[in-house]
Parts: sequence; C-alpha cells; structure tokens
Amino acid sequence: MEMSAITAKKTVFLVDDDIAVRRGIAALLLAAGYDTKMFKSGEAFLAALPDLDLDAPVMLADVMLGPVMLVDVCMPGIQGLELPERLNKEGIDLPTIVMTAHGDIPMAVRAMQNGAIDFLQKPFTVDELTAALERAFSFSPCTPVPSQDASPELQRHHQSLTPRENDVFRAIVGGHTNKEIGRILSISPRTVEVHRRKIMAKMRAQNLAELVRMAVALNISD
Amino acid sequence: MVTGKASGLSERFVDEILNTVETPIALLDGDGSILRFNHACEALTDYKESDVIGKKVWDFLITDDEIEAVRKVFSKTQTDNLPTQYTNYWKTKNGDRQLIKWSNKTIRMPNRNKIGVLATGIDITHLQSIEHGLKESKAYWRSTIDASPISIITINENGLILTFSQAAEETFGYSEKELVGQNISTLMPEPHHGRHDEYLRHYLETGQRRIPPKGRRIEAKRRDGSTFPALLNVSEFTAGIRIFVGFIEDLSEKEKIEQRLDETNFQLQHADRVGSMGEIATSIAHELNQPLTAAASLIGAVSLRLKKGGCAECSQSMPLLKDAVFEIRRASEIIQQMREFVRKRKTAKSLHDFNKVVEDAGALAIIGAGAEGIEVVWEMAPDAGEVLLDRIQIQQVVTNLIRNGIDAMKSAPKRVLTIATARRGSHVEVSISDTGTGLRKDLENTLFEPFVSSKEHGMGVGLSISKEIIDSHQGKIDAKTRDSGGCLFTFKLPAGANGDVGDYG
Repeated sequence: MEMSAITAKKTVFLVDDDIAVRRGIAALLLAAGYDTKMFKSGEAFLAALPDLDLDAPVMLADVMLGPVMLVDVCMPGIQGLELPERLNKEGIDLPTIVMTAHGDIPMAVRAMQNGAIDFLQKPFTVDELTAALERAFSFSPCTPVPSQDASPELQRHHQSLTPRENDVFRAIVGGHTNKEIGRILSISPRTVEVHRRKIMAKMRAQNLAELVRMAVALNISD
Repeated sequence: MVTGKASGLSERFVDEILNTVETPIALLDGDGSILRFNHACEALTDYKESDVIGKKVWDFLITDDEIEAVRKVFSKTQTDNLPTQYTNYWKTKNGDRQLIKWSNKTIRMPNRNKIGVLATGIDITHLQSIEHGLKESKAYWRSTIDASPISIITINENGLILTFSQAAEETFGYSEKELVGQNISTLMPEPHHGRHDEYLRHYLETGQRRIPPKGRRIEAKRRDGSTFPALLNVSEFTAGIRIFVGFIEDLSEKEKIEQRLDETNFQLQHADRVGSMGEIATSIAHELNQPLTAAASLIGAVSLRLKKGGCAECSQSMPLLKDAVFEIRRASEIIQQMREFVRKRKTAKSLHDFNKVVEDAGALAIIGAGAEGIEVVWEMAPDAGEVLLDRIQIQQVVTNLIRNGIDAMKSAPKRVLTIATARRGSHVEVSISDTGTGLRKDLENTLFEPFVSSKEHGMGVGLSISKEIIDSHQGKIDAKTRDSGGCLFTFKLPAGANGDVGDYG
C-alpha cells in the first residue's frame, strides 16, 4: 500500500477470523480516522507480511508512527497469543493489542506476558479502543519502547500496598471477581471493592488494563 | 504237688485250646526263646511251630528297627516289670509286617524253675491302616476347609461351635481353640446375638429356614467388637448328630470397591454433565461475543460520525447509541458468566495410584463392551506409581476415550480395545487403542475443538473437554490412526517424581 505524508493515517492491522467483527471494527477505525488493513487469520497476516511496509513510518505532527496490530486472541490456527512471539522471532517489532473475551483477565495476562502491550475486552467502546490504540502507537518502533521491567517508581508504589491489598491485587490480576476474591480471602465483596479502589489509587492505575500491565511488569501474575 | 500224669493230660488239653483259638499265643522263656507257637501264630507268620521252637523271637520275627526295644522289654521279665501291653511288628516268613498288640503275662514255668512270658496277641495291622486312613482323610478335609478363603464354621444343633476354619480365625480374630464349644452367637452383633438360639430352635421344630439358599447378607462381629458385612450360607448334614455348616464370606472389601465405583460413576456423570454444559457455554460465549462485538463497533462508528455531523438530532441520538452499547456489553457479560462456570472449575489435585485411577474408570467405561463382542486388553505398567492429579477429571478423560473407542468399533469385524499405562521418564502415559475405522481425515486437525464430531448423534464436546482437562494438568493429548487401522489416543501427564509436577515442557 502506498503511504504519503499527506494522506498518511495511522495504520492498524486488524486480525480476526469473524468477518462481521472485521467489518464492525474497521468501520469504527475508519470513523475514528485510522487506516485499516484486515486479515482473516494469523496465517494470512504472516503470509502478507513481506508485502507490508513496516519500515516506512508515517510522519504525523513531527512524530514518526509505525503501524500497530489489533488481534483476536481466539482464532483457529495461529492464535492471537502466538503472533507477537512469531513476529519477535522474525525480528519485527510491531506493537500488539490482543482482543480477549470480556472478563478473561487470565488470558489477557498471558497475552501480555507473551509480548502484547495491551488488551481490549470484547465488545469495547469507542473510547476504550482509541485509548488502547494511542498507547500502542506510542510504543511504535520509532519511539523508544519503554522497558517492560518495573520502574523504581512502580516498585515503590507496589511496596506501599499492605499485605492484604497485595493479596487482593494478585487475585484481581488472576481474573477473579470481587465476589470470588471475598470468598478466597474470607472478606466481604464490599471490603474487596474498598481494597480495589485503594490499590488502583496507590498504584496510579487508570483502569484494569493498566493494573494488569503493572502486574506483568512486577512479575506478580502467575 | 502236681503229678506228671496229671500235668501231661493238662498239657494236651492246653494244646487243644491253644491251637483252637484264633488268637496268636506264644509262650517264651525269660531269655526270649520260643517254647510254644500256636496255630494262629503259624497262620500269621507261615512258620511251623517245629521250626521255631528254641529260637529267640528277635532272631527272625522282630523287624530290625524294633529288635533293640523288644530285647529291652524282655530284660525286664526278671524284675517283674514286664509291660502288660506292648505293640510291635512281627515279620512273616515272606517278609510282610504284621502289627500285633500283645498282652503279656509272666508265669512260673511248670517243671522249670524259671520265669516265662505268655504273650497273647491281636493282629491290628488292618485296624491300624483304617485309623491311618481316617487320620489322613481328616487331615485332607481339614486342609481343604482351611484352604478356603471363605470362613467355614460347623456347629451342632445347640449352636455350639465344633470347628472353626483358618479363614474364620483370620476374619474374626479368634483362634479355633478359643471358640470350640462356644455359642455361635458370639460372632453376631445384636439383635441376632440374643436371638440365634431361638432361630435354631425354630428351625429344628418347624424346618423353616431363615437363610435363603442363595445366602443372606448379614453383619458379623469380630473379636474386637467391630462388625463387617458378610454373605452367609448354611448347609447341614447328619453324622450321628445334626451338624450345620456355615460359609461366611467377608464382603467388606467387595462392598468398599463397589461403593468406590458407584461414587466414581456418580461423580463422573456429574462431571460429564457439568463439563458438557461448560463446554457449550464456552463456545456459545465466544460465538455470541463476536456478533456483539461487531454490533458494538458499528454503533461506535455511527456515534463517531454523528458527532462529526454535529446536528441537533445527531447529538440527541448519541446517548441512545451509548445505551445500546451498554446493553450489548451487558449481554456479553451474561454470556461470560456462563463461561466462567466451567473455566473457574478448580482442579482438586492429590496423589493417586495411577493404575488404579485408570482401572476404576476403565471398569465403568467397559460395562456392556463384552456384550458387543469387544475384547478388552489391559496392559498396566507395574511402575506407573503415584501421580498428582484431579482423579475425577482424569477418569472423565479415560472413560471418554474408552467410550469413543467402543463406539468406533460398533461395525468393525475385529473388536479389540487396548487400555495401557506406561511410565516414560518423568511422565506417565495412558493409551487407548481400538480396531475401528480410524480417524476421519477431515477431522484430524480439529478433533479437539468443540462441536466437532464424527458421530451421528455426538455433540462433539467430549474430546474438547478432555483436552481442556489434560491441558490444566500440564499434560498433552494426541490422537492418530494406527498403521494397522483403528485409533490410538494417548495422553501424558507429568509423573511428579520428587513432587515436581509443574515442570512440564
């Protein structure tokens, strides 16, 4: 595909096996001002890889932005979890967002351990999608990718958690609901909710996805 | 003083008597020389009296091993200490041995101032062999009874114990010695303990049995007071007195196994139902979530465009679309909760004898296989050992694979199902192979995905559940068509030597 500085849009590679999903998300991306290339499977994406001009970043407002990938975690054949790893092996650094089923936090954690930089829970809102994409673009090859390791600041935040808050933290990123966490830790769901808010505040996490990202960096997820 | 004539007469008279009686009678002098040897002695030994007079008995009549003893006996005649009863063998002319029980009497010999011995014998050779036979046959039936794994107890019509077999000793904890002569009710818990005499009396009076011919399940009481389930059979015979024979089979092991299999069966059925439901929920969740995602995205696209449009109608429509997306999200969450139901099923792993887990599941799964003409071959590895696993889940996989194998052979000419375990280094393995038609080529790659089935009425969740279970055990499951035809399903689990179970590559 031809990209010029004038018509340049940020490019999203969308990989999903469901045609209706591809159409819907593509419509949303188009409306939101992104350029989209669609692939019906991981195999199709890998096959097309030589023709994709990954090294020609787009100049936008003095910032160079490469493409990002939005991929479904659950597909026949090569699954979304494997793609970032495959690309890594080929020496390709493509910021990847995996799409998981709603509430499937353990899968999200695994995806991020495999090299995804973010996850989106299907179905998502416009705001959730654009926030995730913008973050992904900030990771694109032409901007130095911040280390996935925990920064001293993040570690400081983590150390400020009480032992009980730490238990709840682990349980949250383990994909448990408040109700389940309450049962596991023998406290009421209401108390869990209080802990959850304190944890988000202490960790400076805006949302669950960010908290999971931190957990992966801190290496506290199973 | 006895006259010579008179003594001559009486000697002839004595001769008559001696030679008429059928009892062997011999008169010996104190040093063992034969003085008289009556007809019965002759008949017994084939020696003529004339040939043996004056010979010492131990020179020809006594068997080698008894010569010493017999000579010793004779040495006592002088001291009047001769035993009045003595049993020893006589050797006949043709070498046969006859066992004679002797009654001895020392007498003062007429005309000789000497002590002699009058020996009157009874040939007990025949009696001895009967007694021997009896002893042998008693030992024989006793061994037979003691060899029986079923406790065998005989009682008389008063309920008193006559014999108590070895199995009974082991089962009840009493020795035969302690119990002979005791009432059989000692071995029964209440209420039978107090009523058994009455049962027996009732039977003797009316002939009505309480124990059906096929036996009755009873509770029996051990020495330590504990009770156990047993199958009791009773038969009776008369040998001078009426004797009842009780055959008591300890059912505790059998019932424990049955109970375990029943429980396993129940748990497996439950797990099957939950698993199928969960698997369906998982698939529905994914399948439904896709169109919901598409719809939410389309609505998102519309709302972005309306925003750009900027008209009044547009901005009033925006909250409606937001609500629509919210509802779509809610639907997605409801579906997801269904999915959680199965995914959150925690595995409860503990150490189990691997072969036993497979055998129990197999025993349940092959019920009815025999009737379909299927031969089941078991090949259990003796070194499978103990493995950390969720028993019910693994048994679910085993039964599922076995039933698949059985189904696959419904119309096959050769029907052999092989269930094998093996230990391969740090793993244990189960393989289940059949002689059916093998895997369908078009299903080979999707076999373990939900809703894939080659069966007419199959829902296609069995193998996907199996895969999910094996995955959660850090194991691996595979299927292939055998060179000889038929399917081979194999799953491996980390054997967990040294308690290390999580390290499966």
